[in-house]
Formats: sequence, structure tokens, C-alpha cells
Amino acid sequence: MDSVDLSQLEHRARRKYEWARARRALLGFAPSLGVVTIAALANKHPMSAVTFGAAMFVVGAGLLWYGREIRRAVLPGLAMGILPLALALCANHMGHACMGDHCMMLCVPACSLGGLGAGVGISIIGVRWKQSWPFWAGATALTLLTGAMGCSCVGYSGVAGLAVGYGVGLMWGFAQRRLSSSP
Amino acid sequence: MSTDPKAQLDSLLVRLAEGDRAAFTVVFRLLWPPLLRLCRSMLKNDADAADAAQQALEKVLTRSSDYDRRRPGMPWALGIAAWECRTFARKRARRRELPEERAPETGTGSEDELAQRELMQAAVAALGELSPQDREALVATFWEEATDATGATLRKRRERALKRLRDTFKRLYGLG
Repeated sequence: MDSVDLSQLEHRARRKYEWARARRALLGFAPSLGVVTIAALANKHPMSAVTFGAAMFVVGAGLLWYGREIRRAVLPGLAMGILPLALALCANHMGHACMGDHCMMLCVPACSLGGLGAGVGISIIGVRWKQSWPFWAGATALTLLTGAMGCSCVGYSGVAGLAVGYGVGLMWGFAQRRLSSSP
Repeated sequence: MSTDPKAQLDSLLVRLAEGDRAAFTVVFRLLWPPLLRLCRSMLKNDADAADAAQQALEKVLTRSSDYDRRRPGMPWALGIAAWECRTFARKRARRRELPEERAPETGTGSEDELAQRELMQAAVAALGELSPQDREALVATFWEEATDATGATLRKRRERALKRLRDTFKRLYGLG
């Protein structure tokens, strides 16, 4: 039809398409706010939990909005991030462990251990699903941000412990998969 | 990519649902002509049909993230367009607008045309009362579009949809 400006219609439709995707992504990722709330309530430093939680929500909703392969990273990233988060929150409440005269905070080891488990988990999922780098990048960002909500209990050292543990876990998972797949 | 335009549309809609923006313009161009055709045949007025088709196309693309890959894309899009045309016709009736093409004319030809238009509007309104699946089955049948069902399944689905359309028509207008 001549009277219809198709390029204008396409622009309008595209804008609405993007808005619909954004709305859907925000709604789809809204349950993760429950995790942020629990982390903030259980954390001794709720502000850092909320800050990392907000970043996690923005990244997760952004990945869902963008779609394609990277959106598949959202669920594994969030689920695996809950592991270090839960361990860190538990360690946060236990405080420290003493062996003889030596006492140590449990938060950093808990974060490293959680990060290790999360790294292994993500590497298993990523290799099994045959994902490329956008998945790995998205899953890593979400796992670290989710875990950081709990691991910020002792400041940056907790987050660093989480990142190191995650890196080691990821490498270990890769190596395991490589070894098992090689003849 | 498949050369069959219907299969091509289905795969493009799947890509669009997954967020592949490269498929957007192609889907837009594939859907515009059939949607406009459907709206023209339902509304019998070029200006109204263009408005309704624009709204329908926007809705189809907005809802493309909800597209179910198990169902064929064209009947799904036409179902949305049929609903949009029905809403448009209803709004027009409520406003008691008299489109230019319906300006009073004399002669039996125009009376027949008027009666046919009113009948069409009534059918569109009844069609709008049906479930999306029934609507898709009927739209696919009468506008010769592909559906996910074939053979006996399609026949049964069509029969059931027609029966429900008849019942709705009776309920709305008290006619058999």
C-alpha cells in the first residue's frame, strides 16, 4: 500500500519489539531479586550485597534481553553463583574457626571453595552444551556477581578468593573434560 | 535456509524469538503483504485495512518472543491480524463511523454489498470470540495458509472450529 510509510512502520515495530523483549527480560529475571533480598538480609554488609545484586540483576536482565546464545548463560550462571553465595553466608554467620592458638575467618575459604565448585559446574555445562565464548563470558559474569553478594563479607579479599576459586574450577573442569574425551 | 517461504518464515520467527535482530526486517517484509491482504478482505476498506494491518504487524513482531516453534508462523500471524481486524471493526461500529466506501448508494448492487459487508463484520466478530487455535484453523482454511496439522487432524480441527463458530454466531445473533 502506497499510503503506508513502511520504513516508519518498521522503526516503530522494532522499537516495540525491543521494549517487549526488555519487559520480558525484566519480568523473567525478577525472581533473582529474591536471592538479592535474602543475601542482603543475611549479610553483615547489606549495602555491598545490594550493590553486587543490582549489578547481577542488570547483567542477567541484559543477557535475557539480548538473547541468542548468551541468554543460555543466565540460569547456569545464577544457579552456580548461588553455591559460593550460600557458603559465604553460612561462613559469615559461623564467623571464624580456631585450631589451637590460630583462628581464621571462614569467609575467604568458603568463597574460594564455592567458586571452585561453581567453576567446575559451569565448565561441565558449557562443554556439554558445546557453547562458545559469549556463554562463558555471560555465565562467568553472573556467577561471580551472584557469589560476590555473599563474598563481600570480608571486603575485596572474599571476592578475590571467589574469582581465583572460580578460575581454578573452570580450568580443572576443562582439563577433566579434555582428558575424558581424548582417546 | 529453506526455499519454502512458509518454512522460511517459521525459522525466521524462531530466530527472532531468540533475539536475532538480523531476522527482523525479513520477517517484516514477509508478513506485511499477507496481513494487509487479510485485513482488506475482512474490513473491505483500504484505509481501515492499512491501519489494522499496521497494528497487527506491530503486535506480531512485539509478540514474536512468545512464538511457539511447534506451530506454523503464518497462521499464528494471521490469527493475530484477524483478531486485530475484529477489534478494529468493533471500534468502528462503536464510533458509528461510515467509511467513504460505505457512503449511501442507490441500486441493488450496493444493497447486496452492504449486506455482505455486514455479514462479514458479524463473521469477524464471531471469529474473534473463538480460541486462538480455532481462529488459526479457520484462518488457515479460508485464507489457504499452512497449519501444523494435516489430513484427518486438520479436518477434525476445522470441523470443531466451524461448529464453535456456528454456536458463537447463534449466541451473538440468534441465527442458525
